[in-house]
Amino acid sequence: MTEPTTTLVTATGEHTGKTAITVALARLAADRDRSVGYMKPKGTRLQSNVGKTLDQDPMLAREVLGLDAEMHQMEPIVYSPTFVEGAIRGTEDAGALRDRIREEFDELAADRDQMFVEGGGRWTTGGVIDLTDVDVAEALDARVVLVAEYGSPNDLDEVLAAADDFGDRLAGVVFNKVSDDAFKSLDQDGIPFLESKGITVLGAIPHEKDLAGVTVGELADELGAELLTDAPTDAFVERFLVGAMGGDEALRYFRRARDAAVITGGDRADVQTAALDASGVACLVLTGGHRPSGAVLGKAADAGKPVLAVNTDTVTAIDRAEGIVRGGRTRDARTVDRMAELLEANVDIDALI
Amino acid sequence: MGTLNELFDPDRVAVVGATAREGAVGRAVTSNLLDDFDGVTVPVNPNYDEVLGTPCVGEVADADADVAVIVVPPAIVLDAIEACGAAGIRNVVVITAGFGETGGDGAARERRLAEIADEYDLNLVGPNSLGIMSTPSGMNATFGPENALPGGLSFMSQSGAFVTAVLDWANDNGIGFKDVVSLGNKAVLDETDFVDHWGDDEETDVIIGYLEGIEDGREFIDTARETSQDTPIVAVKSGRTSAGAQAASSHTGTLAGSDKAYEAGLDQAGVIRAESVDELFDAAGILGSQPLPDTDSVAIVTNAGGPGVMATDAVGDADLDMASFTSETSDALRDSMPAEANIHNPVDVIGDADVERFREALEITVADDNVGAALVLAAPTATISFDDLADAISEVSEEMDAPVAACLMGGDRTREPTQQLQAKGIPCYFDPARGIESLATLAQYRDIKEREYEAPMSFDVDRERAREILETVRDRDDNRLGVEAMELLDTYGIPTPAGEIVDSPERAAAVAADIDGDVVMKIVSPDILHKSDIGGVAVGVGDDDVADTYEDLITRARNYQPDATVLGVQVQEMVDLDNGVETIVGMNRDPQFGPLLMFGLGGIFVEVMEDTTFRVAPVSEPEARTMTEEIQSAPLLRGARGRDPVDVDAVVETIGRLSQLVTDFPAILELDINPLVALPDDDGGTNAAAVDVRLTVDPEELEA
Repeated sequence: MTEPTTTLVTATGEHTGKTAITVALARLAADRDRSVGYMKPKGTRLQSNVGKTLDQDPMLAREVLGLDAEMHQMEPIVYSPTFVEGAIRGTEDAGALRDRIREEFDELAADRDQMFVEGGGRWTTGGVIDLTDVDVAEALDARVVLVAEYGSPNDLDEVLAAADDFGDRLAGVVFNKVSDDAFKSLDQDGIPFLESKGITVLGAIPHEKDLAGVTVGELADELGAELLTDAPTDAFVERFLVGAMGGDEALRYFRRARDAAVITGGDRADVQTAALDASGVACLVLTGGHRPSGAVLGKAADAGKPVLAVNTDTVTAIDRAEGIVRGGRTRDARTVDRMAELLEANVDIDALI
Repeated sequence: MGTLNELFDPDRVAVVGATAREGAVGRAVTSNLLDDFDGVTVPVNPNYDEVLGTPCVGEVADADADVAVIVVPPAIVLDAIEACGAAGIRNVVVITAGFGETGGDGAARERRLAEIADEYDLNLVGPNSLGIMSTPSGMNATFGPENALPGGLSFMSQSGAFVTAVLDWANDNGIGFKDVVSLGNKAVLDETDFVDHWGDDEETDVIIGYLEGIEDGREFIDTARETSQDTPIVAVKSGRTSAGAQAASSHTGTLAGSDKAYEAGLDQAGVIRAESVDELFDAAGILGSQPLPDTDSVAIVTNAGGPGVMATDAVGDADLDMASFTSETSDALRDSMPAEANIHNPVDVIGDADVERFREALEITVADDNVGAALVLAAPTATISFDDLADAISEVSEEMDAPVAACLMGGDRTREPTQQLQAKGIPCYFDPARGIESLATLAQYRDIKEREYEAPMSFDVDRERAREILETVRDRDDNRLGVEAMELLDTYGIPTPAGEIVDSPERAAAVAADIDGDVVMKIVSPDILHKSDIGGVAVGVGDDDVADTYEDLITRARNYQPDATVLGVQVQEMVDLDNGVETIVGMNRDPQFGPLLMFGLGGIFVEVMEDTTFRVAPVSEPEARTMTEEIQSAPLLRGARGRDPVDVDAVVETIGRLSQLVTDFPAILELDINPLVALPDDDGGTNAAAVDVRLTVDPEELEA
């Protein structure tokens, strides 16, 4: 039985798109008739603070790739705050943990051509149990793909540090979510610099609105909001504006934005009408449980903009909403499809698959 | 849309949905018409053969009507309107509610209504309207409790409730109307249409309105300008304060718009703005009944010294003057008045004056050519009867050209004389300030009537290149552009200092070397709004320091706002601020009036000083020039404390060019040039420099 090729996808930070890239790579490999497997040794995107929780990433992989592995196999260590506390108190045995990962991996890898392993939040995550992604790569004999963001040359410090630590195991760097403004600098200066240091750059994926924001419908679902209108909910929202000032100032403020949702009290009719007037505002989120006046709903219908109502206060609604957008879109098959397209267009896949 | 004559003066009116059912709107409308209308009222309702003793038809097509009033429920209202259109009825008043004011479904219904009206080319009032009235034919096509008295006021209101309240009050006070319209949701006909129609209506002396919003500000201005040359227009526009604006939004979904835009817009339109209901009717009353004053000078004739002083204060407040009498007038007064009387303005005929003394003083005073208007002010005394005084005032007023207002200060005893004076068209108040204010309204209208409007300023410009620069906003994350778009100003001929945006210290040094003298360097980032606050501006940089300064600016920007997109550094020629005056020229697009231009004292304290003035673009040369004269710091432009005056023509031209730019591109939502440095007139040089620019562009509008 031949050993499968194992690729560990790690990242310089959270929310870089590591999950989408890992699962998309696996799917691209599957498309080319390889049998693939997936693992995320350290579960980090947890829904609760303790114990057996649901990291959605393995679940997504299982669904997209049609795997029938068990969750505890794909995610043997739940890297929760409680776990880490225990680890520093000495309740965990680093060696035993490493063995466990090795065991589960071997089971999952049996009969597979390629294994795709997703790293923890950041390449240094897991240091307290000697299981950083560097350690994991070693343990699983994986080659490493580093996912990084690029806003300016300063971001290269992180990339160099990671490359240094991974050494020869590093197959290359994939830059993700690169804005138009930064692309030129990356292309002209960043990439040549890295290559001069012997670091392979596999590609750079541009910032994609589809993947960066959430649709109004998704926002409504995540917030548990009630839709007060029949308007379509497929517009994208990337940022939130709070409407707490007077109507005139509000209009000025809202007009400057794009792909924005305005959050305001249900009793602020002047702010609501200003939001409906600004073309860059995709929807209105009303807080506090107040219902807006019929005239405002009529105006919303004319403008074709959805109005959502939540019962919480404005501060809570903002926190939740920003969390939803920051955390990226709820992972689903659609995201993976889109990422697969982007990888094919912008990254040297053949080097990896 | 054509004339609305048939709407207000039909021969036959159909009431679609007429009924005799108690408490129904359909009953109220039908009975109002049957009671007073000179023409024929035709009830339309397939459920009845007759309504309130009048034969009823089953379909509106059988009514052969000129106007249809629709009171059927929302579920069938669209069909009813369509039936009117199909039957050839072009004037429709929709009383039915349940449209845009009630939510999404209602809004859809209203859109459909507008489509039907368009298809059949209908003059449609409402929906959600109280109805309309026209007194010459006694037509009361409303469901309100009272008809109006005849008169010369034509009244439109965005609130139906306000109409019923006003009619009730007006009837008690003997105030009459010509036409009355409850505008409702203004789905088709709006305030501009009525201003247009009544401007041509001989029987309308004064147009008054209550508005919460204006549908198309520019059209309104253009139409009202024409109408107001012959017919005064007075309007209350509510939603003035921020609390009021909230209420307006909740009531009608109107985005109340900036009050500054309304002030500017209504002023430019030649509309007199009333701040309250009292002011509205005071103004309407006097404009309809009194001649216009030749001058702004007022004479006060009173038997009460104290109130005379209050009235004099009011003259000062109203920007009128106290008339100075000619020597003939003074002599005549000295001869006829007792020694203790005061023969200078205010003329105090003192407390023991009888009606004759009052009459004489009044006659002599108004005969003086210097006197534009007169106020007669009387407190109750034993020697005078207000009824007799009222008679005397009426008689004198009939013989003179100047307008007169009266103040009878008292209680019950003033009631009859007041009515008597008002019947003769002489406004009468308790409060002298109100009396003076109404005379001031006459002077204000005289100025409006005398206005001559000029065409907007227009220049040779590069529209194509301007569009290209505006299109760059599509590459941005949001709708803002900054100095990186400064070439936009060049395309419209607005003078800018020499300079370039660079992205390396070497390039910065090269650009600086090409510029005479020291330079100014600024960080360029649409995300950093107040550059000077974060050390993002370096002034007076010598060529040797340019490269280092470049580094400094970039570093500070990174430290202050690490997420900010930095496009580079602007290296710019230094403008002589010591000899120049920093002004701000800008525009904000008002949702109702469109581009609102602003001019004022600029610099970094502009938000604190707020010394600014506004006009709705496009503006003519005199309008732009007046803006430069109106600000409080205007003397600075003319040279203060030993400084040279600046080239105001250059500033006026810049305002004109900006006016054209924002009119040509509705996609520009906001634009600020701060500062526009106005420099002393240096023949041959450019005497103004736009040093910085910020704008907001709506990419969706650009496609248009």
